[in-house]
Amino acid sequence: MAGFLKVLFRNLLEGPCTDPYPFGKTFSPPSIRGKVLINPELCMGCGMCVYSCTAKAINITPLSDASGYTITVWRNTCCLCASCKHYCPMGAMSISDDWHLAHAADEKYALVERHTIKFTPCSNCGAMIRPLPLPMLKRLYAASDVDPEKIRSLCPKCRQIEAASQIVQNSGADAAKAENS
Amino acid sequence: MSLDTMLKKLSVSSPWLFRINAGSCNGCDVELATTACIPRYDVERFGCKYCGSPRHADIVLITGPLTARMRDRVLRVWHDIPEPKVTVAVGVCPISGGVFREGYSIRGPIDRYIPVDVNVPGCPPRPQAILESVVLARSIWLKKLGLEK
Repeated sequence: MAGFLKVLFRNLLEGPCTDPYPFGKTFSPPSIRGKVLINPELCMGCGMCVYSCTAKAINITPLSDASGYTITVWRNTCCLCASCKHYCPMGAMSISDDWHLAHAADEKYALVERHTIKFTPCSNCGAMIRPLPLPMLKRLYAASDVDPEKIRSLCPKCRQIEAASQIVQNSGADAAKAENS
Repeated sequence: MSLDTMLKKLSVSSPWLFRINAGSCNGCDVELATTACIPRYDVERFGCKYCGSPRHADIVLITGPLTARMRDRVLRVWHDIPEPKVTVAVGVCPISGGVFREGYSIRGPIDRYIPVDVNVPGCPPRPQAILESVVLARSIWLKKLGLEK
C-alpha cells in the first residue's frame, strides 16, 4: 500500500515518464549508432570498407574514364555495425547519432550517401593519383625529416625518389655540419 | 453522413497493429515489444494496439528477411488482413535482406511479393524510429481511407 502511494506521489510531482516524441523532443544516447557518413577529403578508395562491410552496403566503382571513383553507402541495407569505421585506415568513415531513417517506400533507393572522388595528376610525371591526406603523410614520415607538404602531390614512384633525395640531402647537410664543427 | 463514413471517422484514432515475423532474428520483434510495452515509448498513445488476429489489423509490421519456409505463410496471413492496410517493413532485413541478402534460404526482399508503404531501416531500429514509422503509416492509412489529403 505504502509503495503504491510512493509511486503515485512521484508521478504527481515528476509527471509521466513517457518520452514526448514524436510531439516533442527526444534523447539519443552518446553511443548510439546512426547514419554512416563518409568524409570525401580522407577517403582513398582502398576498399577496406567494402571488404569489411557485413551487409555489402558499401560499393566503390571506378568512373568510366578512370578519372576517379564513386563510393556509395546504401542505408537500407547497412546494419550499423560500424565495421567500416573500425577498419578504415584513413578514418574517413564515421557513425553519426542521427537515427531518423523512417521513410516512405518510394524513397527506398534514394537513401544513399554518395561521393564522387576525382584523381589529380602527379606534379612530376602526370600520372593520375589520389593524393594522400596530410595527417596520414605526417604519420608515415614522422621518423624522417621529409617535408610532407612537398611530396603530397606526387605519385608513389616519384614520392619514393623525392623522399630518398631529401633524406640524402639532409644527411649530407648534417655530415657537413659535423665536419665544420 | 452515411453510416460507413461515420464508422470510419469513429475508428480513425485507433489503427490496430499486427506483427508478422518473416524469419526475423527477433531483434526487431524485441524492439516492437519495447515500443508498445515500455511506458517511455508507449505506442498506444496514438490509439495503436497490437492485435492477435490479422482480420482486426490496419497497420502490419513485418520483420525478417522472408525465408523460404515462411514465405507462403506470410503471404497467407498478409492476404487475411482487410483493405485498406498499410505495410511497414521494420529493420533492414525486409527492406533489402540486410546481412542475409542473397542467402540460399532467403526469398526477400519483401517488396517482391507485397506492396510496402513505409520502410524503417536499422538493425534493429530504435523504438523512437519505429514510432516515427507508425506515425507515417497512420497518415498513409488516413489517406487510403479518404479522411486526410
